[in-house]
This record gives sequence, C-alpha cells and structure tokens, in this order.
Amino acid sequence: MATVTLSEHIGDIEKLFREHNRALIAFLQCRLNSLSDAQEVAQEAYLRMLTLDNREEVDSLRGYLFKIAGNLAIDRLRKRKVRSDFVAAQAHDEPVGEATPDRHAMAVEQVVGIRRALRELPPKASQAFVMHVIEGRDFGTVAQTMKLSERMVRYHVANALAHCRAWVDGKEMS
Amino acid sequence: MTKMKQDEIVQVAADWWVRLREPDAEGETVERWLAWTSEDVRHLETFERVNELASRLGSLDNVSRQGLIKAFARAATPSPRWLPLAAAAAFAVVVLAGAYVAWTRFASGISSQVYASAVAQNRDITLPDGTQVALGAASTLTTHFSHGQRRVDLSGGEAFFQVIHDNSRPFVVAAGDVSIRDIGTAFDVRRTGQRVTIAVTQGRVQIADTNQTPGKAQSGTLEVSAGQLVSYDPNMSSMTIGSIAPEQATAWRNDRLEFIDEPLSVVIANLNRYSARPLHIADADLDKLSYTGTIRTDAIDSWLGALPQVFPLRVNTEADQVILSDAEHPPRR
Repeated sequence: MATVTLSEHIGDIEKLFREHNRALIAFLQCRLNSLSDAQEVAQEAYLRMLTLDNREEVDSLRGYLFKIAGNLAIDRLRKRKVRSDFVAAQAHDEPVGEATPDRHAMAVEQVVGIRRALRELPPKASQAFVMHVIEGRDFGTVAQTMKLSERMVRYHVANALAHCRAWVDGKEMS
Repeated sequence: MTKMKQDEIVQVAADWWVRLREPDAEGETVERWLAWTSEDVRHLETFERVNELASRLGSLDNVSRQGLIKAFARAATPSPRWLPLAAAAAFAVVVLAGAYVAWTRFASGISSQVYASAVAQNRDITLPDGTQVALGAASTLTTHFSHGQRRVDLSGGEAFFQVIHDNSRPFVVAAGDVSIRDIGTAFDVRRTGQRVTIAVTQGRVQIADTNQTPGKAQSGTLEVSAGQLVSYDPNMSSMTIGSIAPEQATAWRNDRLEFIDEPLSVVIANLNRYSARPLHIADADLDKLSYTGTIRTDAIDSWLGALPQVFPLRVNTEADQVILSDAEHPPRR
C-alpha cells in the first residue's frame, strides 16, 4: 500500500469512525457487556489507529480497527476482573452502584418477566443463559459444569437470549 | 408478518452475539458480521437491543441476580446452596482471609476482651468503639480490636450488633465457618454449634464462608440487606436466604425467641440458653423436625406442655432435666 500523508491518514480514520463507529460500539458492547466501557475502548482504539506507524503493512483499516478493539477489550476484561475482585473484597463500605428507586423498580419488574420467559425454555437453555449472561461465566466453564459441548452451550444461550429479547419486546409493546 | 420477520432477526442477532462473545472471534467472523449488519438497517438495530438486554442482565442488583441463579443455574447441579458470586467472590474470600492473617501477624496493638453471659440472662454491652451489643443468654463473645480492624468472635449463643461504622476499620463478626462484615449496619447473629443464622435489621452486611478452600468452585460471599435472614447449614456448607422483620430478629431481647423453619435440635439448643432445667432430645429422629414459631423464655414449661400437640413426641419432666422422646417409640426405662 502506498504511503499516505498524515492529513490523509487522519481523514481515513475519520471516515472509518463515521461509517463504522456504531458497529464498533456494538461489537465492543457485546464483548464487554457494558455500553460505557465499549465507548471508552472504542476511543482508545481510534487513538491507536491515529498513531499507527506501520500503516503500509495494514491491508484493511477497518479490519485492523476491529482487531485492535478486540484486543483492547480482552485487556479490559482482564483488568476489570482484577478490579472487581478488589472492589468485592475491599470497597463495600459505600453502596457501590446502588440502584436508584426508579431503576430498582424497573429491575424488579424486568426480573419477574425474565423469570417467566426463562421458565418457558428447556431447563438447559435457561441454565446456560443464567450462568453465562447473569453469572458471567465463560462458555468453557458453563460447558464443563453442564457437561455439554461449548457449541451446545452457545446454542442454548443464543436461543434463550433471543427468547428473552422477544419476550421483553412483546411486553413493552403491549 | 413483519412480526415474524422481526423474530427471525432477533434470533440471528442473538446467534451473532454468542459468536462475537468469543475472544478469538476476529478477522473473518467480524467481517461476516459487519456484512450482515449492513444488509438491513434493522440488523444492527436488533443486535444493539440484544446487547442492551444482555448488558442489563449482566449488571443486575445482587438480590435479583442471586434469585435467578438460584432458580435456574443450579437446576442440574446438586451442589451446595451457598451461592457463587462468579469468580470474584472466590478472590474476595482469599483476600479477606489474607488480610486477616496479615493483620494477626503484624498488628501489635490488639486489645482483646471476653464478654460472657449467664443462662437465662441477656446482657447489654458497649464495646470500646461505641458499638452496642445485646448479648443473649449463655453467649460468649471475644473482641480483637486493632488499629485497622475490629474483629469479634461469637463462640456460641446470640448477639445483636448496632455497629458504629468506620470505613477505615471494618467490623467483622466471626461465627464458626461464617464471617459477617458490616456495611453500616445493625444485625443479629445466632450461633448454635456450627449452625449460624444472621438477620439484618438495618443497612447491609457481607457474609463469607471462611471454611472454604480457596479456588474451590463453590466459594463466595453474599451480600444481604435489611429484612433478610441467612441461615448457614454446616452439614451442607450452604446458605439459604429468607426474610425476617427487624422486630422478629431481636424479639429475644424482649424474652421471646423467634424461629423460622429451624430444626428442633436448634430450637432446643437455644432454649437451653434460657431454661432453668436443661432440655434433651432423646431420639435423633426428632432433631430434624422443623419448627416455626415464638417461644417465651419465661414460659418454656408451657411451651413444652403444648409441644406434643404439634409434634409426635413425648415430654418427660424430671427434677433436673426435661427429656423429649419420640411418641412412637416405647418409653425408656
């Protein structure tokens, strides 16, 4: 790939941002299960892209952006684990992330709905879903615990997630 | 019809969600996902909503979270009922235990004090830090206060704590295998042998099973708030959560013992802290009977008199003891 000037490079990154930022955020939120973390990591990824010094070796800027973002997400998950462990052990003096009355009320209603939705599913699907999405265990651990293949666990989680999403949508519309 | 179509998109979006969750999903997978999102505006939109739900469910408050885990995640695993709070909790236990070891090793200015009460005698105590303790009858408490921590060992009986909260000096009650750490709180702890019940009347506490091997899958800490009752069963190494009104939790301070679904053996052990004559259960099969109710500590005899109407047992009152035996069995002696 031909060398580009700095201003061209910045222009390319801006274009990348305009066209793919929403997908990048969605990709990162999926990895991190948090919108604010996704936004932070995305910013860092753009920064890395701007200061890229081996652009000639990169054949797809978009591919590279998602690769960097994916790696940053992995780092973030690692750091988060260390931090949350620490918080769990130390910082219970202040109610961390205490739900406001509003949020709590919504959460209760939501949980009742999710419970009902999960009860409509085969037990294995709801179990895999709760272990992965709610408990935060990775697919490998869930597979081991449930004595299933990871592929089956993913299958169950996807079905349960789709079912819950559709259930919540149906309820919100009625 | 569009509804049908939308459901299909949700399913595909959820499939993608699961696939992208894998840390090694990159390159080709991401490219194909990006292609899918650009096919139809609803694709990315739906994916975002799947994301949103998963994020919401991933950050539920502890009570809801544990409720769901209890209801679904342990259906197929007959594991102890002590709730695992993901991997974080295992680490928390290790850190707590580590902190304690470090503290006992390095702290020089530890002041210890033993408080005990006689049978049938409740006692009110103010600890050096200002914390109020109501000590139940026949109960023993030892304080180990240092610069950085306030630790209290309940070796038996019952105590109600109204803790003067201090961020820099956590207040931790150890009762057998269980440790209770205050988070701005009033709570009641009852220890019957290795069985422990904790009733929170105000604020929150963090409860840890300290008897666990670090790294073991079933380890964890549990955070409970006012109105919740936690029972630790040493046989199962398990915690069950129920609810309790504050006035119920401290009823013993007004000469009433409240029991919610407690084995008869536990009820009798606690009554023995108040009874002039020791009570004995002669037949082990009575131990398991579950009792819920109130017993006046100044009217234990009349409760014993009514007991055979509730349970299939016989009460023999002797001069220096009371014996409860199975009504089905022939009388001894």
